[in-house]
Amino acid sequence: MSLKDVLKPFTAWKNLILEPVSIKKPLERQGAPRYRGFHQNDLEKCIGCGTCEEICQNAAIDMVPVDGVETKPGDSGLRPQIDYGRCCWCALCVDICTTNSLTMSNQFQWIDSDPEVFRFTPGADPKYWDNSELGYRKPELYELYNTERVKVEELHPEERDRSFIEMVKGFSKEQAMRESDRCVECGLCIATCPAHMGIPSYIKAVRNDNIEEGLRVLYETNPLPEICGRVCTHKCETVCAMQYKGDPLSIRWLKRYIADQVNSRDYQKILGTENLQKNKKKVAIIGAGPAGLSAAYYLSLMGYQVKIFEALEKAGGMTRYGIPEYRLPYDQIDKDVKYIESLGVEFQFNTKIGTDIPLEKLRKDFDAVYAATGLHLGRSTRIKGSDHEKCYQAVDLLREYTLGQEIDVQEKIVVIGGGNVAMDIGRTLARLQNQKFGKVQLIITSLESEDIMPADREEIVESREEKIRIEPGWGPKDIKIKDQTIQGLNVIKCLSVFDDEGRFNPVFDTDQKNFFEADMVVEAIGQGMDIEYMKGVVLTERHKVKVDKNFQSSEPWLFVGGDIVSGPDAISAIGNGHQAAKGIDQYLNQ
Amino acid sequence: MKELIARLKKQFKITDEVYQKPDQTYITVPQEQAVALVTHLRDYEGFNHLVLLTAVDWIEENLFQLIYLLNNNDFKADLGVRVMIDRHEATMTSIHHLWKAAATYQRELKEMFGIDFPGSPRVDEPFILEGWDNIPPYRRDFDTKKYSEETYFPRPGRTTHDPAEYMKKKLYPED
Repeated sequence: MSLKDVLKPFTAWKNLILEPVSIKKPLERQGAPRYRGFHQNDLEKCIGCGTCEEICQNAAIDMVPVDGVETKPGDSGLRPQIDYGRCCWCALCVDICTTNSLTMSNQFQWIDSDPEVFRFTPGADPKYWDNSELGYRKPELYELYNTERVKVEELHPEERDRSFIEMVKGFSKEQAMRESDRCVECGLCIATCPAHMGIPSYIKAVRNDNIEEGLRVLYETNPLPEICGRVCTHKCETVCAMQYKGDPLSIRWLKRYIADQVNSRDYQKILGTENLQKNKKKVAIIGAGPAGLSAAYYLSLMGYQVKIFEALEKAGGMTRYGIPEYRLPYDQIDKDVKYIESLGVEFQFNTKIGTDIPLEKLRKDFDAVYAATGLHLGRSTRIKGSDHEKCYQAVDLLREYTLGQEIDVQEKIVVIGGGNVAMDIGRTLARLQNQKFGKVQLIITSLESEDIMPADREEIVESREEKIRIEPGWGPKDIKIKDQTIQGLNVIKCLSVFDDEGRFNPVFDTDQKNFFEADMVVEAIGQGMDIEYMKGVVLTERHKVKVDKNFQSSEPWLFVGGDIVSGPDAISAIGNGHQAAKGIDQYLNQ
Repeated sequence: MKELIARLKKQFKITDEVYQKPDQTYITVPQEQAVALVTHLRDYEGFNHLVLLTAVDWIEENLFQLIYLLNNNDFKADLGVRVMIDRHEATMTSIHHLWKAAATYQRELKEMFGIDFPGSPRVDEPFILEGWDNIPPYRRDFDTKKYSEETYFPRPGRTTHDPAEYMKKKLYPED
């Protein structure tokens, strides 16, 4: 060993007089501006979809209830709780977050001797970094999924404005698979769907190209997929987690895609209904609309002998006699109906209960009765002139057109109403005007301003494309008649439709007037029911039939459903038809 | 950069070229030409800095892609050399003789992807995964979640809820 080796260590002593390089207070050291530190979660923005939990490769996230966060449509009420013993700070949860509520602060220092505190719910358990401006946010440059929906092909306005050919062409396989790939399978939509359909499961089936599985999922909760796949009000899409960064999924068109792929002769095999065992009990159903068909389907699966009495000549109810063919072709209704018929459900058409057969007779001949006769009576504005013979009810005209009766179409028409029925009759009459006169002169006027018109947005857009004039925000005053001929509709400005408590209570400004020239007026302001035939059942304060959760009325043998209880819309009717079937089964097995 | 690529094409079999950004270009060459090309770029074209060496797992095609990212300080531009190699017999000629630092990248690739670089210093020693007993974790067939669940014990008292089931319980329990 040389002398140098002995002395060298002592040169380190010189460091004693130098400024130390270590930091005195390490806790004051800041993370970089985009450092991935402890999570922040905006509880108001978060919808509890659980996609963060799903993507976490370390299983560090649990979805837990949080005080003060309510479970409601579109929000599970759950929020992510993170176990920092497992978190590797990769930030995949932040990148995948459907609402951008989950972010990371740049704070990473926190010392505690209790390991349990390192599992907490960001945003709900207060932390010092909750309001940190710095930290990791998902960069704008990329998304881990497509935020835009795959467009469905449609006929152009000039291809469709004089024909009743179906307007929406539906998805191709490639389009459907691409669209289904956007679903994060959170399932928030299931609670909002009135029939609680297994939406993520059937979308997954599309993604896996397993159409048979998709059809089975559809029929678990909805026996009218061709109908619903076209005209469902798709409330599910209003709560889809995908809407926060882009478009919600095209759930309705994916449902239609599944049903469209399967040939009706394969239904029984796929759905396992080839050998249904029948019992001796009989159920009568009044009305072959969505509610009646749904109840009939599920009752026949349970073995009941079902007979449907229908006042009109074919099944489908409002979906056939209300909805125009360009939205829902009749052969698609037939496909759904024929499968239900193939299970042994009997139909008796052109038979009105109450006039042709008294309800009492059904009570005697059957073990239970389900009444779902819908809303087929048009409501009138009752303004002066509305009793003129050229002033019609939308539901009457739509039914007459479907029945093949001639509509006395006039050159100038005004439709009163802002809902889908107004659009349906407006667009039907516009087509007929085009066929007869080669041009459209039709106004749809509603009380509601455009932003609160109850019709689907696309109906309004498509009506305009078909050259219909939309005049929102007017209240009908009277129909001007001269020499017994309609001249047009006088209207006054409608300032608001609902009062502060959300009740229908329109306020008008009588000084702001307008006049819409017309020689034909159609009212589409709502429908009423005819329940004379079930006189004696207990009604609610709002003059609806009083039913329990199984849709059983005050008469134990009589169940009531469809639009006369809920809705009006097909999917609610299908949902409550299913529930009534379970209720009838319970009642008959007591 | 296009001139350079045209020049290179006379000597090397360049099968693909991508002009990603003004200062970032990628070219693809066959495996047997890759080291010769990288050497040429270093010695004759001024790409004397190895920015990084990394890989991508193209599991569906049964290939690994190696990317040698080189920088030319005079041009202020990067050139990435891409090479596709067989995924089952993942072996590549080492370039540690060109850049010392390459040995570290190669050791990392051996550990994370299982790509071997025979002759590269310490290539078989663990890099960051001491005592690793599974397939290389950057391979796409490595199931991170499964590994995590099997390896790390769950904290007692953890419970989670499925959003759809929870909403059913809360919003429409009677069905």
